[in-house]
Amino acid sequence: MRLLLNKFIFFILLSVGSGASAYELGHNLSAEFRPLKKSDWSYEKAAHLLERAGFGGTPSQIQKLLEVSPEEAVDSLVNPKKPNSHLLEFEHSKIFDPGLEPFPASRPATTKLASETGQALGIKVRPNGNRPLQPIVNKFFYWLRASRLETDRVTQWWAERMVFTDTPLTEKMALFWHGHFATNEDKVRDYRKMLKQLQLFQTEGLGSFRTLMVAVAKDPAMLAFLDAGVNIKESPNENFAREIVELFTMGVGHYTEQDVREAARAFTGWNYKGLDFVLNRDQHDYGSKTFLGHTGNLSGEEVIEIILEQQVSAEFIASKIYAFFVSENIDPKLRKALGQQLQDLNYEIRPFLRLLFLSENFYSTKVVGTRIKSPTELVVSTYRKLGLVNFPGAPDFNHVTGSLGQRLMHPPTVAGWSYGKAWITPSLLIQRGNFAYNLMFPDIEFIPWDKYPGEIQYRIINVHQKIRDGASITEATKPTSDYSEVAALSNQTDRNEEFNTRFGSYRGWQMAIERVLPIERDLPQISLTNMIVSEKLNTKEQVVDYLVHRFISVPLDEHTRIMLGQLLLKEVGDDDLSQHTNSLETPLRTLLHAILSLPEYQLG
Amino acid sequence: MKRRQLLKGGIAATLSAGLNPLTKLSAMTNQPRILVVFELSGGNDGLNTVIPYRNDDYYRARPNIGLRPNEILKLDDEWGMNLGLAGLKQQWDKGNVAVIHGCGYERPSYSHFTSMAYWHTASPNSGDAYGWCGKTADFLAPDAPENFIINIDTSQSLAVTSRYHTPVVFDDPDLFRRINPNGVMTIPPNGPTGNPGTETTRTFLSSVAASAKSSSRKVREACASYQTPVDYGIAPSQLDQVAACIAAGFETQIYYLAFRNNAFDTHVHQKDLHQRLLMYAGDAINGFLEDMERIGMAEHVTLMVFSEFGRRVGENANLGTDHGTANTMFLAGKPVIGGHYGEPPILGLLDETDNLIHTTDFRRVYATAIESWLRSSNSIDILKGNFKPFPIFS
Repeated sequence: MRLLLNKFIFFILLSVGSGASAYELGHNLSAEFRPLKKSDWSYEKAAHLLERAGFGGTPSQIQKLLEVSPEEAVDSLVNPKKPNSHLLEFEHSKIFDPGLEPFPASRPATTKLASETGQALGIKVRPNGNRPLQPIVNKFFYWLRASRLETDRVTQWWAERMVFTDTPLTEKMALFWHGHFATNEDKVRDYRKMLKQLQLFQTEGLGSFRTLMVAVAKDPAMLAFLDAGVNIKESPNENFAREIVELFTMGVGHYTEQDVREAARAFTGWNYKGLDFVLNRDQHDYGSKTFLGHTGNLSGEEVIEIILEQQVSAEFIASKIYAFFVSENIDPKLRKALGQQLQDLNYEIRPFLRLLFLSENFYSTKVVGTRIKSPTELVVSTYRKLGLVNFPGAPDFNHVTGSLGQRLMHPPTVAGWSYGKAWITPSLLIQRGNFAYNLMFPDIEFIPWDKYPGEIQYRIINVHQKIRDGASITEATKPTSDYSEVAALSNQTDRNEEFNTRFGSYRGWQMAIERVLPIERDLPQISLTNMIVSEKLNTKEQVVDYLVHRFISVPLDEHTRIMLGQLLLKEVGDDDLSQHTNSLETPLRTLLHAILSLPEYQLG
Repeated sequence: MKRRQLLKGGIAATLSAGLNPLTKLSAMTNQPRILVVFELSGGNDGLNTVIPYRNDDYYRARPNIGLRPNEILKLDDEWGMNLGLAGLKQQWDKGNVAVIHGCGYERPSYSHFTSMAYWHTASPNSGDAYGWCGKTADFLAPDAPENFIINIDTSQSLAVTSRYHTPVVFDDPDLFRRINPNGVMTIPPNGPTGNPGTETTRTFLSSVAASAKSSSRKVREACASYQTPVDYGIAPSQLDQVAACIAAGFETQIYYLAFRNNAFDTHVHQKDLHQRLLMYAGDAINGFLEDMERIGMAEHVTLMVFSEFGRRVGENANLGTDHGTANTMFLAGKPVIGGHYGEPPILGLLDETDNLIHTTDFRRVYATAIESWLRSSNSIDILKGNFKPFPIFS
C-alpha cells in the first residue's frame, strides 16, 4: 500500500513537472532568487506585482508603485505601514443568543435533547398542546439559515476589503490560507467561528507559519470542522491529526498510519467552548507517544513542532505558496530550494514572499500572465481595475463566485479548491463573460437571493403560499406532486405531533431574513466615458489600446485589436470619438464586455 | 451468481436471435464504452431500496416503515425492490442489474458534504484535488479530446474534476449560452503574442473557449432536436439529455449527473416520499436503458448508481431514518451480468452507533467500472490502492 501511494505521488510529480518548461528552466538556487535590477523596473512589472501580490489596480495605483524602487514597492505590500483605517469592521446582525450554545449536531439530536431534558437551544418545551417542540425546531432551523446568511455577509465584507484595501497582500494571503486550511460553514454552522478564523488569517497570515499552524489547530472553526469534540483519550479520532500531516504540512507518504494514531493521541481533549479553545484535561492522553521517531509525553504543540522540523514540511508549504503566487511549474530541485529558504527563514512568510516578489524570475515571461485567475480574483480585480468606489450588490458577489466554482467559506472539501485549469470549464468560461456583461448592463431581473428562498429552499415557497391561504400546518407542509416536491400520504386534518420539521424550516427562514442585515444592492457606478475623456483619447485605436492595457495582463495580438476597434467603430458610427462623448457609454461598455470576455482576460 | 450468469447468457442469446431492426450493429463495433454515473444525493435509504424481506432484524428495527413482503417487488427468495423501482425491476428481470451490497468505507462520515467528497475523490478520510472520474479520464485519454466528460449539473462535480480534461458542464442546455454574444471573440484568430510563458495557458483557454462555443451549440442542438418515443417517467433526471448527447454521436465516455437538492435525505415520513423518489430514479433509468437499446447503443453503455451513505438501520421517531453508513450500489445496463454481488451486512451485528458495518469498499465498484468496463488498467493509481473488481462484466 505504501509503495502504491509513493508510486502515485511520483506520478503527480511527473505530471506537474511535465509539459512546457519545468526542466527547461535550468535554474539553480541563485538564479531562482536573483533580485530584479532596479533599472528593469517598469509599469508592466509594477502591474504584475500588484496583480499577484494583490488583486490588480487602477493605472494610478500602479503608477504609485512604479515611482518607488522595486524594494520599496514590494515592502509597501509585504510590510505595510499604513493602518488601512478607512476599512470598516464587520457589522454583526443581531442573530446570536447564548441559548444557541452548544448547538446540537442535528435536528434529531436537538429534539432528542429537548424531549429528555425539557429544553434545548434556550427554549423550554411547552407543557401541552399540539407540537410542544415546535419553537425549538423553529429555532434550530433559524440558526442554520441565519448563520449561513450571515456568513454570506462575512464574505461580502471580506470581498469589499479586497477591493478597497491599501494593503491587498494581507487579503490575498488570507485567501491563500482559507484555501489551505479549508473550513466549510456547512459543517461549522457558526458564522462567528468562520469570521474569527478569517481574522486569524488576516492578522497572522503574513507572520510565522509556526504560529499560524498552532493557532489554526486551536481555532474553533477548525476544531468544529474536523470533529475535535469526538477526539478523546478513550477513543482517539484521527481525522484532525491526519489532516494536519496530510493536507496542512507534509503531504501524503511521509508518515505512517502509526504516526497518525500517535499524533491523534496528542490532540485528544483539544476542543472549543464558544469561540475559545479549551483543553479538556480529563480527555487528554498524557501517556507516552512516539511520533516521527520522537518519543515522550508529547503535546499537540510538540507534535506540530516535530512536523515543522521536517524538511518535507517546509518544502510542502513553500511550494504551495510559490504555486499560488508565482507558478505551478515546480520541479523537485526547485521544490527543495524553496523548502530550504523557508526553513532558513524559520517559517516566516513575509521575508519568504519578499524574496519571491523581488526575484527576477517573478517578472519573467515564464511567470507573467500565466496564471488563471480564481473566481474571487476575477471579480475583485475587475472591480479594482474599473476603479469602482462602491461595491456592487448586484451582481451578487457570492452568487457569481459560487457559480464560477469558488464560494468562499464553502470550499468543496478539506483539500480546498483546485487551482489553475480546474477553474475553467466551457460553461464556466461563458459564465465569466456573462459576469462582465451583467456588470456593464445590469440584469433587471436580478433577485437578491439572500432574501428570496425560492432558489435555495425550493419547498419553502410552497409552504409559505399555503399557510397564507389558510391551510393547517399539516396541510401546508404536505408534499405536493410536482417534480421538485414529493408526494406523501398525509392526513387532511391537522395532525397531532411533537413538531413539524418542514414548518420549522419555513418559520426558521422567516426569522432569519428578519434579523440578518441586508446586503446593500447598489449597482456598479461605471463611467467609461469619463475614463476616455480624462485620458483625452480620440481614436478607436487609442481607446482599444487603453482598455486592453488597463485590463489585460498579456500582450494581445494585432488581429484581435483590429476586431475590437471595428466593434467600437460599428457602435459609434465614425472614428472621431471626441464628437460623440454624450453617446459613447453604451458603445464603450459593449467594447469592454468583449474585452473582458476574451480568454486572455482570465490570465493574471 | 452462476444462476444469474446463465440467465444473462440465455437472454443475450434470445435477443441476438431476433435483433431489433433499429440496432446499428456496424456503428457499434467502433463505439467507445460509456459510463454514466448517477448520484442519488442526500443519502438514499438502501435498506428500503433493496429489502431483505426474510430478515426479522429488519422488521424489528423498522416496525413502522419496514416494507412488508406484500409491499415489495420480489427479486428472489431473500430480496425485494421498493415498489417505486418498478422500472429498474424490469431491467433486473432482463438480467441487466448488478446489486452490490454493503458498500461503504472505514470510519464513515455522517456529513453529506464530507462523505460525498470522499466518494467523489475516492479518498475516504482524506481528500484530493481531482475526482475519480476526472482521474479516470486522465488515464484513458491524457490528450484530453473535446467533450470526453459531460457533467449535467448547476456546477461542476468534484467527481469529474480533472487535471487534463475540461468537462462540459451544463444544467439547462438553453442557458449554456452567452448573454449577447455580439462582438465577443472567443477564438483569437492569430497566433503568438510574443509572450512564450503565456502561450500554454492561453492555448488552453482558447481551446476551452472554442469548445465552449461549439459544445454549447452542440449540446443545445442535440437536446433540442432529440425526440424519443421512450417513456422516462415523470422526472427523467436529465438522463434523456444524456441519451440525446449519445444519440448525437458525442465522443463522451463519462457522463455524470446527480439527483438534486439532497432529495434522498428522508428524515421524516419517508415511506411514500422515498418510494416516489425511487420511482423517479427507477423509471428514468429504465427509460434510458430502453432508449439505448432503441438507438443501438445498449452494448456500449453502463450506468452506475450510488449515494454518499445509507441510512440508519432503525427508524427514527419521525417515521424516517437518519444518516447511516453502508449502502447498496447498482451497475445497470446490457453489458452487466445481473445478480447480487458483495456480502450483505449483518443487521443483527451493528457498530457502536447502531449502524451497518460495511462489507464492500465502494472503491471495488469503482475499480470494476474502471478496469472491467472502461478497460483502464490504472485503477490502482486512480483509487490510490488495489481494489479487486467484481466479475460484473463478462
